[in-house]
Order: sequence, then C-alpha cells, then structure tokens
Amino acid sequence: MDLHSYRRGENGRLEQILNQFFLKNLHMILDSRVPAIRPSSRGEVKKSDKWFNLVLGDRPSAMDNLSFWNRSFMEPMVIDVILVQELPKSSTEHNSSTTLGSEMVTETVIERWAVQHEHQRAVAHPISEASYKKTYKKSIILLRSIYSMLRLLPAYKAFRKRGSSQNCDFDINYKVCTYAVPFSREEDELMKRHNFISIDTQQGALSVSVTYRRDLSDFNLDAFVSFPSEIITDYVGSPLTEPIRPFPTTSSEKGVRATSFPITGSQPTSSSPFQRRHSWTSGIHGDASSQKNPPFSGSPPLYRSPYEFSSSPADSRMRSETSPMSIPHPIMGRSPRYLSPNLSDPNRHSLPPLSPRSTKNDPLSQESSSGIRSTRKSDSLRAGEPSSGPTNLGPRVSRDAKEDSGRFSGPLSSSSSPRIGFSRSSSRLSFQDEFGEYDFSYPFIVDDVDPPDFQASQNLDGRNKSEDLSQASSTAKRSQDAAVGVLVHMLRTAPPLRQNSSCYTSSKTEVEREVGTASEFFKPRNTTDALEELKAYKEMKDLLI
Amino acid sequence: MNCEVCQLKELEVEHFEIREVLRCILHTILFHRALGLVRPKDVDLELFEITYVQCGDVELERKIDEKIDQFIDRVEKYPNKKNQICLSFYEVKNKQATWFTNKVERLYWEQWYINLNVMQHPKTPSGKSHHSKLIVDPGVEARGARRAALEASLRDVLFQIIKFVNEKKDHVPSIPNLEGISFPYEITISSSSDSAFGMEMFKRMLQTGHPTMLS
Repeated sequence: MDLHSYRRGENGRLEQILNQFFLKNLHMILDSRVPAIRPSSRGEVKKSDKWFNLVLGDRPSAMDNLSFWNRSFMEPMVIDVILVQELPKSSTEHNSSTTLGSEMVTETVIERWAVQHEHQRAVAHPISEASYKKTYKKSIILLRSIYSMLRLLPAYKAFRKRGSSQNCDFDINYKVCTYAVPFSREEDELMKRHNFISIDTQQGALSVSVTYRRDLSDFNLDAFVSFPSEIITDYVGSPLTEPIRPFPTTSSEKGVRATSFPITGSQPTSSSPFQRRHSWTSGIHGDASSQKNPPFSGSPPLYRSPYEFSSSPADSRMRSETSPMSIPHPIMGRSPRYLSPNLSDPNRHSLPPLSPRSTKNDPLSQESSSGIRSTRKSDSLRAGEPSSGPTNLGPRVSRDAKEDSGRFSGPLSSSSSPRIGFSRSSSRLSFQDEFGEYDFSYPFIVDDVDPPDFQASQNLDGRNKSEDLSQASSTAKRSQDAAVGVLVHMLRTAPPLRQNSSCYTSSKTEVEREVGTASEFFKPRNTTDALEELKAYKEMKDLLI
Repeated sequence: MNCEVCQLKELEVEHFEIREVLRCILHTILFHRALGLVRPKDVDLELFEITYVQCGDVELERKIDEKIDQFIDRVEKYPNKKNQICLSFYEVKNKQATWFTNKVERLYWEQWYINLNVMQHPKTPSGKSHHSKLIVDPGVEARGARRAALEASLRDVLFQIIKFVNEKKDHVPSIPNLEGISFPYEITISSSSDSAFGMEMFKRMLQTGHPTMLS
C-alpha cells in the first residue's frame, strides 16, 4: 500500500472514529437529559453500539435526522439542554419566553455541550496505525468521564424528576446545531464551564466542553413533583371493616393537611376544613387531569381522585363542606328483605324520595351520573370487579351523591356515614351496594314531599281494599320504600270504618281502638270487613317491622 | 511507564455511611479504568442524592463488597485510626522463573488512595445511657448539615476522579481485547498509624522502579 492510500486509509479510520465519537456523545447526552425520547428497552448489543466499548442501547429516533455529522467535522456540534417551564406572566426573567394560551412558557438553556474537532494544518504527529489506536483509547477514556459527568451535573436531577413523574410543570427539550447562541451577561454569571482535556488526533484536536447552570433551585423544580406519602392521622377506616361513627368536628384542621396533591402544577385549591376526612371521600375533590395520569409512583391510591365530574370550585367546596351522614338506626334494624335493592323494581327510579333542594339538582345529577358511571365502570374493570354490579347501581348512587350535596347540607346532615365520593379500592363497590341498601330509608320525607307523585307512580287508584291487601302482601318482595308507599296510599284511600270522615292517625292506633271498642265500632254489616282490615294492618305492621 | 498516584480528598464518614461511600468511589474509579466492553449501570445512592456508574460486572461487584466488609472489620478493630483503601492497577511483568523463585512481578502504573476518617461515637457509661445520649446527640440540624457537607465532599471526590482520569491518559497501557475489566487491579486496606502502612507504601514505590516517586 503506498503512502497516499495508507494516509487515505488512516484518514478514513480517523473520520470513522470522529464520526462515531460525535454520535456517541449525542447519544449519551440525549439519553441522560431528555426523557421523552429515551428508548424503552435495550435489546441485543448492536455492532454500532460497541464503539468505544460503551454500550448505550438503542439510539433515539431523533438521531436519525442528524446524519449530517457523518460528512463533515469542520463544524462543532452544540447540544443545548433546555428547561421548558410554564410560569405566570408576571415572572419574566432573562429567559426567552413565549405565550402559550394564557400562560407564559419560558425556555432556559441549563446546559450546553460542545463537541468539536479542530483541524490543524501543521500536525506533528506521525500518521501510523498506533496513533489512531491511541486516539481511540483516549476517546474511550474521555467518553467514560463524560458519561460520569452527565450524572453529576445539576441537570441530571431535573432529568430524573421529569422522567419519574408525569405531573411536572416543566419539561426538558434539546437543540442540536452547529453554532452556539451566546449567553447574556446575566446568564453567563450563573453558568460554570468545564473543559475536558482535548485529545490530539492526526489532524487536530478533539475537544468537549460543557457549560452548565450551577444551581437549578431558582426554577422550583421540586414544587411540582409528587408529594411524599403522608400518614392519615384521622383515618376512619373503611365502612366495611369498621363501624360507622360520627366524625369529630374538631379534627377538621388535621384533615386539611392531608389533602390530595396538586395535579399539573396547581396548588391544593380547597381550603375547606372538610377537604380530606377519609380515604374514600378523596374522589370528590379531584380535578380533571387526575383521571388521565397514572398514580404517582410510591404514593397510595388514596391520594388520587378517580372522578372528574366537577372541577368547579363551588361544587367541590359544596361537597367538601357537606358532613358525612349516618344511617338512621331504625332502618338498620329492619329485616334484610327490605335492605336488598330490587333492581327490577320500576319504582326504583322515583326512589329515594327527593327533597325539594335535591329535586332542583336533578338535571345536573343526570348529566354527571353518566360520567361517573363510566369512570366507575372503568375503575371497577381495573380493580377486577364485574362491571354489571357497579353499572346497575351507578345511576342510583351517583344521583345520591349529587343529591347529598343538596340534602345533607341542611339540618339532616348529622349522619356519620360517608355518602360522598368513593375510593378507588376494591371495597368501594361493595360499599356502594351497602349504600344502596340504605338508600330508601326516609319514609317520612316521602310523606312530606311527593305524595302526589307517589300516587301516580304507584298507580293504585280505584282499586278496592281486597286488591290493596293482595298488593300489600306482595310488598314483601318489593323495596322498602315501595312498601311504605303502598301503606300510605292504602291508608289514604281506604274507606272509613265509620260513616264519618275522620282520618286514621296510625294503623296501630286504629287497631287499639278497634280492639278496645269493638262493640261500638262494628256494625253487623261491616264486621267481616273490619276483621279483614285488622288482619291486613297486622300483616303490614309485621312487614314494616 | 510512570505510576500515577491520586490521593483523594479525605472524607469524614459515620460507620453506617462507609459502605455507600466506598462503593461509590471504587466503582467510579473502576468504571473509568474498565476500558473493555461495558454496559454501564447507573446506581443511586440511598443516603445521598448522587448517581454513580458501575461497569455492570457482577464479579467486580462481589469483590468490591468483600473488600468493603474487610475495611469495616478493620475499622471496628482499630477504631481510632484513619483508614485507607488503595486501589492499584498494574501490569504483569514477564514471569521470571528462576531456580529458586517463580516470582510474578507487578508493575503498578496507577494508584488511588481513598482516605476515610470514620467518626466514632464516644462510649456511654453503663446505666447512664439515657442521659449521655442526650449529650452526644448533635441534633437533627447538625446531622443534616454534616450529611450535606459529606454529600458535597463526595461529589468533589467524584469530580476529582473525573479530572484526574482526564488529565492523565498517556500512562494507561494498551487496552486488551477483553470485556469489562481490562487491567488487573488490587485493593488493599491499611491504617494511618499502623507501622505497616508506611512500609506498604514504601514497598510499592520501590516496586514501580522509579526513584523519582520518592522525591
């Protein structure tokens, strides 16, 4: 091989080394600074990855467009690592900023790498095979030190934070070009420069330098990353495992601290003392973005809101200010026959009876229920629960949740049971079942509010007493509210025992009167009827008890 | 070939910090000297917000942990001494098989001295441990400050390693076609006030065969 071809061969080797050096540098920097483009898996070691004895894995796809460095090494490769942050319009420092919607986006160069091969005309180094081997060896050592340095600089911390959490209000971007935009004087003062020792080559010197921000604390990167888990000091437990008890009103201050985190950079908005009382009420207070993002790594699901049916502060405050309700005790003592919901009961949709305030919320509840149903269904599928259960209960429960905000904020809000919001745990669905059982537990409200509706819905007009009794006997299979409605209707539509139009006060009272003064009330003509009526009342009494 | 020596900055560590600090420093040095094919492995320290790089060699990891265990035993045995770990890289000289000896000579071309000053808590007299703990306990703030200072010092040590590795490259031998650790190495433990400590140093200097090292 003559000298020219030898030189050409050696130059070719040098070019190859330089080319791969540039690409390896870029690969290392992008891998450890820009989480968005990092390849997810590392497969078999490719031949191209073995350059400089440093296996990095698959190259980011963004590098496919940067092949122009294959051709020329006259120009430097400048890689800017840019911190992109959304800031309020008021804070405009010496950074480039653009307006994106209603927020200002600032871009700050927090690190700048410059890789360059400076050609020198007069080269004292003899061109030999040993020389390029030496260059290659030194390049290996240099790349090792760059790799370590990348993990020690401040920007690495930002990279790790960005990569570990989806809910950062900052992003890391990069820019690769052949020139470096000079920093302003203020920026320069905040930056520090480190020059790696250059490597002499046959045609010049290969150099790498980094200019980096000494301190990134100005950017408050820590403020918008997931909070550490907190111990719930006033945890009241799941309704399935612990008996329902009233919440202490004085512990509201404690509950404020253990609130759900800010999501997408926003601070906790609710200042209500009832913000976070229980694990299963956290769902109410979440905002829309929480639904799209996975839970924070390491934080329990209690802190994540699965629901986004309302992000308006008024609604969340209204819900958050509503104290939990306790289930009235008389209802709890009833027979299980009335506690299991009859899903096929057509009268269910009119039940539970609506308070006047909650009646106004009906359109809203209808709109929100579908959203809730879908989210709850997806949650149930995620939790492995059958979707039929929560779906059936969805409309009913969601309406209750909305109604609760109207109903229970009044004087009736004395219960201790949490009726607002549900946790994402699998016990939530069974809690819904239990909640649904106690749903129709306010017969007196039926009387007060919607007697005409009941008459219309029950459709018992014009029926005689015997039909009523048979109806009453079949109420064992109906829901509890249906039984109550039937009874009320019967009482109202039943013909008087006496000829006078005096009303019945209660079935028990009538029975006592009838028993006590049978001889007075019963005329020969109505004795049988009266006895039958008495039997019916007794049956109804048994059913109700 | 010169033997380049690097005395790393002394670190004041508590007993429970020894393992993490030594792992970080030793692996960092070896990563820069394992010039064979490696797949780097990033490791986060638990006690500090520092990420260092390992070669990904399981055998190396095991050997380093062994040496660290020995160091910890030595610290417990000689608690009032400054202890040092020396990581040396050498080349094996031509085996000189003679009639009497079959000596394998090592030519050290690089030595790293890791200096640790392990803090010892004063022993509390029996029966008064409750009160004496209150006295010797520096407090949460002081501990936090000490921890932060140690983290900064450890970071300085890592920068020191990178700087040294960058500045001195000519003395590194040619890289054999091996994976992972390309050069033989040894890790030795010694104590500052130990009489053998100085002798060990002297021996090594003689072995390198360069009188200029003594000046």
